[in-house]
Amino acid sequence: MGKADKVMDICLLAGEIMLTYGAETYRVEETIERMAKAASFINVHCFATTTGIFLSFEEKGKEDSMQMVRVDDRLQDLNKVTEVNQVSREFVNGDLTVEEALVKLKEIAKAPVPYPLSLIHLSAGVAGGGFAFLFGGGWPDLFPAFLAAILTSVTVVEFERYLKVRFAAEFVAAFLGGSLAIALVFFGLGSDVNQVVIGSLMPLVPGVPLTNAVRDLMSGDLVAGVSRGAEALLTSLSIASGVAFAISLFL
Amino acid sequence: MFMIELVICFLATIGFGVIFSVPKRALLLGGGIGVIAYSIFSIALFFEASPVFSTALASLVAAVISHLLARLVRIPVTTLAIPGIIPLVPGSRAYFTMLSFVEGEYLKGLEYGVETMLRAGAIAAGLVFALAVFSFGKGIGHRYETNR
Repeated sequence: MGKADKVMDICLLAGEIMLTYGAETYRVEETIERMAKAASFINVHCFATTTGIFLSFEEKGKEDSMQMVRVDDRLQDLNKVTEVNQVSREFVNGDLTVEEALVKLKEIAKAPVPYPLSLIHLSAGVAGGGFAFLFGGGWPDLFPAFLAAILTSVTVVEFERYLKVRFAAEFVAAFLGGSLAIALVFFGLGSDVNQVVIGSLMPLVPGVPLTNAVRDLMSGDLVAGVSRGAEALLTSLSIASGVAFAISLFL
Repeated sequence: MFMIELVICFLATIGFGVIFSVPKRALLLGGGIGVIAYSIFSIALFFEASPVFSTALASLVAAVISHLLARLVRIPVTTLAIPGIIPLVPGSRAYFTMLSFVEGEYLKGLEYGVETMLRAGAIAAGLVFALAVFSFGKGIGHRYETNR
């Protein structure tokens, strides 16, 4: 395996991790191009969209090499993006060899989420309760929204883990969270049913894809920006239809 | 009362940071930016600015601070900007849009829907403007090649 193959591997692995876990397209392209150039390849071109990365470069005196990877999953883990950023910076500065970079990237790819799952559910509850309060609810709305947001978060995580359906998970989570919110207010916890339902839905807001869509569009990656925006829109629509289902059934 | 809101905003923003797995060293910074964005939003509303303008202003300030801090602590801007703008997300407007359509009040739904879109657009505008300032000299999409 020549040097070109190894560099191709680490570039594409870095790009794949970043794109999967929610980096912007321009960051993926820039990182890959910098790494390939730092490994003294010329004629480096990288094209990344939301669903795949193409990379081609030329070793001096040899033929072009070109590969692509397909990225199916799009998850949220900004910690991994930061860590890959760090590895690429060290690689470009010459602090890491190709082999060391590959080991580090594989470690990052395998690493679990930096926070335990229970903490994520708990903070989903805190976020939901907090925003139910901030969006105009009162003190009595805080606790039911906390409970409903936890249920939403647990549902979306467990549903995706066992069934691996992308938009149905959000639909079911919005439905269950909304139903619990309505039920809690019906049984006397909380005063304003609307604020509690809003709080219960906040953990599902597609914040990362939306922000990245704007960023991609601005930096000229029109294909990536529009497709990411479409994904965020679909997510919002499945949330909206889930909670609409709950409301029309129970309210 | 306002202080309590800020504390709750801080906690809720950090909660969102944990959901998006923001690295530990950026969590508190993200929460702080969220609090700043929320307080600018509330202060602008207090001085009777329109909600859309307040959102744009708050989002601009949050994005500028995220850009500066991101250079200082050497992490991607997104990890700070996303928690920073979360308190501005028009979640309640989006919900009331959906509610009005479910109840068959289409005109009211459109009204809420337009406001949701405008506020979301205002967040984007703030982000984009900060980005335009901070990518000084390497922006793309010029209309004419002036320096050739």
